[in-house]
Amino acid sequence: MKKALIIIVAIMFFSGCTKHEIEPSPVEPTVKDIFSVSQSNVTNAQVFNFILKSPGVYTLTLIDSSTNQVVSREKFYGVEGLNTMNIYTKTIQSKHLHLVLLDANNSQIGKTTITIK
Amino acid sequence: MRIFLAILFSFTSFLGLGQSISAPDSKSFTVNTTGQDASGFSLSGFNSGDILLCAVGLPTAPAGTTFYFTTATGLTPASGYTMTGNKNRIAFTGTMANINNALASLKINTPATVGSIQISISATVNPTGFFYNPTNGHFYRPIATGATYTNARAAALNTTFKGQGGYLVTITSADEDAFIFNNVPQSNIWFALTDEVEEARWTIDAGPEKGTLIKINNGQTNGNIPGQYNNWAGGEPNNSGNEDYAVTKWGGGSQWNDLPNNFSCAYVIEYGTWTNPDNSTFTDFYTNSTIHNNGPALSVRFNISTNNIVNSNLTGIMHYQPAGSTTWTPSTNTERTMTLLGGMNVTSDIDTSRVSTNTYLSTIAPVGVEWSYINAFNGVLTLYIDMRQVTVNANLISNVSILDVYSGPVTFLSNDGTWAMYRIPEPCPKLTDGTSQYNSYIRNAGYDNYAFSCSVTLTQNMEYKKQALFLNYNSSLSALYNSVVTVSDVYTAFRQLATQGGLTGTSNGTAFTSPIQYIAADVDANGIFNEKDCFELLQHITGVRSLKADELSDIIRILGRSTYDGTAGTNWNTVPQRSFHQIALTSGVLTYTNNISVFWKGDVNMSHSPAQSTSGMINMSVNPGMITKTMSLGSSSSDVKATIISELVKDELIFTVQLDPAGQNVVGVQFMIHYDNSMISYKGAEFIASGSPTNFAVNRGDYVSLGSLITDGNSTLDNSTKYVLKFATRAKMTNTLGLISVQPIDAVTKSGTQIKINIF
Repeated sequence: MKKALIIIVAIMFFSGCTKHEIEPSPVEPTVKDIFSVSQSNVTNAQVFNFILKSPGVYTLTLIDSSTNQVVSREKFYGVEGLNTMNIYTKTIQSKHLHLVLLDANNSQIGKTTITIK
Repeated sequence: MRIFLAILFSFTSFLGLGQSISAPDSKSFTVNTTGQDASGFSLSGFNSGDILLCAVGLPTAPAGTTFYFTTATGLTPASGYTMTGNKNRIAFTGTMANINNALASLKINTPATVGSIQISISATVNPTGFFYNPTNGHFYRPIATGATYTNARAAALNTTFKGQGGYLVTITSADEDAFIFNNVPQSNIWFALTDEVEEARWTIDAGPEKGTLIKINNGQTNGNIPGQYNNWAGGEPNNSGNEDYAVTKWGGGSQWNDLPNNFSCAYVIEYGTWTNPDNSTFTDFYTNSTIHNNGPALSVRFNISTNNIVNSNLTGIMHYQPAGSTTWTPSTNTERTMTLLGGMNVTSDIDTSRVSTNTYLSTIAPVGVEWSYINAFNGVLTLYIDMRQVTVNANLISNVSILDVYSGPVTFLSNDGTWAMYRIPEPCPKLTDGTSQYNSYIRNAGYDNYAFSCSVTLTQNMEYKKQALFLNYNSSLSALYNSVVTVSDVYTAFRQLATQGGLTGTSNGTAFTSPIQYIAADVDANGIFNEKDCFELLQHITGVRSLKADELSDIIRILGRSTYDGTAGTNWNTVPQRSFHQIALTSGVLTYTNNISVFWKGDVNMSHSPAQSTSGMINMSVNPGMITKTMSLGSSSSDVKATIISELVKDELIFTVQLDPAGQNVVGVQFMIHYDNSMISYKGAEFIASGSPTNFAVNRGDYVSLGSLITDGNSTLDNSTKYVLKFATRAKMTNTLGLISVQPIDAVTKSGTQIKINIF
């Protein structure tokens, strides 16, 4: 009985002291290269990976799959090999999007579909 | 585990958890029709072997309403009842299965009178020797063993039943008297009525009515107090031999007698009241009821013309004004949603109770002295009422009913201290033509005066409470309004101002094609559309000073559809600008279909408002400009183009929008730049554009309303137009996507045409 009480008090203590999250915690990727699969589900602050053959300036574009309108685009400097990117979804009005990777010459080198959960 | 479950089952059984009565949904019966299906009630949760007491009654129903069962197998009627024939109340016992079979066969016979029919079913595990009266919710326990009155009174107080204290039965209505007569086999039954304190002052002696005086003289009807139930046998009470206590069912008959205390009589203990299913003080007792309609039911519906972009988030909630108040109060907490075609049913939210007004009906009835007369000189009818009969302010009398001569409104004229005078607005031929059935009470007094031998009574007029539909918007009001009032609206307003050749709003312009646009554009609601409205609209989209949009009522406008369609360029400034729609209930009217149109303050181009119709038909879809903008998936040659890109540079996220008018004479563009305010904060914007457009970047907390507008009528935006927005990161970050997104809102050409923005 004494043990049970101690456990209950301990649970109450720890749950009462849980820190409120101010920023979203990164969600680890499930695949090594998001462009190697045709479709992925993502949540806010999801981390995703992709592979680049060479370093340089690239852009990632989110396109609303129902209207074909570009909704967001980010220019970044990519490194050779594994790259990671944090996707934030709070501002995105659509749930179904295409994710397109272009190089500095605007050549498409990756495209996949994502669904915001 | 099995032992635990068994214990739990036993425990819940012991508590009696799970018993209930389900009831059918309300429906409308056909008037004056027998044998209509009234099934749908069902008992559940009782032990199958228990004998249950079940009562079926009609607490509310038009006179003549009865019911019957076509199946009553295994049921035993309570004392005084039979299972066959038409009834308005019955109590019987049986198992749950047999009772449910009977309830499934329940039929109703309706009279011609329209009204509500409440069917109430009650059930409890049968307490032997108790009788339930579903009409008043009371239980009655006859005690056959004889006792003196005072002993019976004391014994009753010492009993309890299903959580309720008992008392010697009181008989306060013929219905209750008949119930006891039918259910208690004994004769000469004590009930709680005595004149022991003072001879001949008969006073109820127990229960909730204890202390109520019902009679002040002996003799069958002598001294019976009006409004109190008395049912004495002939010559009774007579106090023959000091008789201070009352019995009912005297000598096996249906009436009362007074007896001395030392008589040994049966008596009845009463327990109550159990009519409310939520009454937790009455334990182990279950009830449910449904209120059906006899004849057509009240139906209050709205057909709401709005714009299908916004109506999925619009809900309605009925409000009413309490008696004596002008404040709108929600009738229920239920928000009604709109169907895809704009229908909304609020029938169950309508308060049909009526409240007293501050006006009176004066009824002039035959028999009496000449308290009233009509002067009919030159066919103008003036009603005179003697001031001794007017016990309220004479000007509060608004309606009169004069014999069979006239019934309707009157207008107060004056009061000279002797007579109150009123104008009757229409001819009253029966006053003079001799056809009134009360002609003998009408005296031609000469000089066009006709006097009435009459009484005058005043009755306060009643009216339905004022009720109105209010709308709620269940999403971001700021985001909605940002898309409702855009550069096209502002430009259209300026074009109208320029083309109407003046600033007074009285001459016809060419930009407005619908008179409702004047109301939408008159954002200061002063009845004049002028340059002040245009600049307020401009200030709104540029963020200099926003239009008030804290509540939906600040921006929404609701009009009856006929008013909406009938609004003309010459009368638009007389149309009331309301954010709710009031309905008026009328006696005898059951069906109300309210066609209303919803539009918005500042929606000058009507992109979010229904089209105004002159044929009575309303186009439910968005206007053509909006269809082009929102429904088209591909680009066309009439589109304007824009490209976007964001880049993280040190601690700043820099977002750039580059415009390409693509050959269009574009004078206004507007974007909504959403940003994740938990990760970045807005710092400011730079504008690069030729000419002198009014550029704006208004931070609304989690988005920036961005764009340009040219109102000079000459220049247009070109492909040098560029916006650079800067955001500070709240923490160090690298490689992000989606912190900023863009939503094209509006683009307008020099001719006032809305065009689509394609983002590349």
